[in-house]
Amino acid sequence: MGHIWLITGPPGCGKTNWILNTLQNHSGPKAYLQLHGHSSNELEQAGNVGIDRAWLKDQIPDLQHAEVNAELVQEPQKDQLTLIEWPQFHPPKTVGIEGADPSLLNTLSGMNLSPQRVLNFGCDAELPDQDTLRFTRLESWSLNLHGQVWDPNSLSSFWFELVNGAYGDVYRAKALMNLPDGRAFLCNWMVSQPSSQFLPLKNVLPPLGRPQRTSELVVQGKALNSPGIESTIHDCLLSDEALELHQAPLREQFNQQQSTPSLV
Amino acid sequence: MKQAVISCLHANLAAVEAVLADIDQQGINTITCLGDLVGYGPQPNEVVNLIRQRNIPTCQGCWDEDIIDGLNACECSYPSQLAERRGHRAHHWTEQQLTEDNKAFLATLPMTLRRNSHLFVHGSPNSQHEYLLPDMSAFAALERVDSAGAEILFCGHTHQPYVRELSEGSIQVKVQGNKEAPVEHELKLPVRRIVNAGSVGEPRHGGTKATYVIHDDNTQEITIHEVEYDVAATCQAIVNAGLPEVFAWRLSHGFEYAERADDASHVCER
Repeated sequence: MGHIWLITGPPGCGKTNWILNTLQNHSGPKAYLQLHGHSSNELEQAGNVGIDRAWLKDQIPDLQHAEVNAELVQEPQKDQLTLIEWPQFHPPKTVGIEGADPSLLNTLSGMNLSPQRVLNFGCDAELPDQDTLRFTRLESWSLNLHGQVWDPNSLSSFWFELVNGAYGDVYRAKALMNLPDGRAFLCNWMVSQPSSQFLPLKNVLPPLGRPQRTSELVVQGKALNSPGIESTIHDCLLSDEALELHQAPLREQFNQQQSTPSLV
Repeated sequence: MKQAVISCLHANLAAVEAVLADIDQQGINTITCLGDLVGYGPQPNEVVNLIRQRNIPTCQGCWDEDIIDGLNACECSYPSQLAERRGHRAHHWTEQQLTEDNKAFLATLPMTLRRNSHLFVHGSPNSQHEYLLPDMSAFAALERVDSAGAEILFCGHTHQPYVRELSEGSIQVKVQGNKEAPVEHELKLPVRRIVNAGSVGEPRHGGTKATYVIHDDNTQEITIHEVEYDVAATCQAIVNAGLPEVFAWRLSHGFEYAERADDASHVCER
């Protein structure tokens, strides 16, 4: 018998972080499913990005993604905990599954899923609420950065400008960014927080060209200057030649480490 | 007699006019400029023309040098690829805007100016590109001033105004003779001062006000002055000129147009 919980809340409220902690504390099998939220003219959801999935998978290598294996949640393993994330701008009028959006209920029903628990940021006292904001207008913009690698100092400048308002009123920014040395970082900003988080992925790749893993940026806010953001990003990303300049000495170091016999 | 020292104007006409008006209001006639008349800002010709009209003695800044040499600051002085690309855009735009006459004027500017025991430079006596930061080692700082034969060294380039007094320094030397026991000598180092004038056109002291310094020859008092100016006008001019809009945003928040190099002591050897 498995457990299925539905986690909802507005952008930036801490859903993914809470899901990460909950799954890490669960000793049995773990599964995760991310569903699309609904947008309106005034409130745009972030396009379905792979940032959360990739981040959670990096932090919990044995995490199963239910998107690619529907049987996982329909026929759960013993003691499996499945967490379903669903972004929702407004809190439900009633708590529990009855308060869920009808279209979400249809989606869940179509997947033969019936969560035993529904947890909503902003409603449930057991969830933190310091980052749960009520938005009345929100634009979303995202950019796929697959295969792109940042000049590290440029990334630092760009992120500083982005979250301090150089490209519009940014309330929320989240990204997975690749660095030339094979590391990648989850960059995370919420207007209610005093500073950004830069969390390294556990999975460090060898410095061998362009990494083939999820890399995306999502920005939410008001009056976003997306051409300006894109233009600055263009100035920050490394060309093949510049990437090789960064990686060649690191590769040499990496190869030496690989060929050095261990004394253990 | 009082003298005013201004630096790093960076083609910001509103800021230069406000600072000169502030100096004029105090009845100060001796003004020295430490260079970087152009670069990043939207009014390079207007600023150069104003300095020329006022006949203000000026030494050459790193941007003034780069523009007339047709070179950008060496790549190693940029802290990031982003800063480098922005710097190149600003350089290209400024080079196109500046009249030949004004370029010729910038080419005539001296590296240093001297008035009695006061030496005026943009970066350091060694280079227009060297940053004399307030926390530079006291020995190195003293070397810069003393080797130039100055009592007060006025500099700019860092965009952060400060007054640093180098005093109570000494060097102990142990001289070993052939037979006698070693003899110790203590050499007292002279008192020297480094005065950084900050920046008129691109302040980097945590606020948006233009900065400059006044030195009173009679009392030896040095004061840092901050002057409000129409920042919005300069920001609008940046946008109208087609320079990167982020320059306007950075200026309006008291940030430099592009980041400063990580290695502040770097001296370009190109």
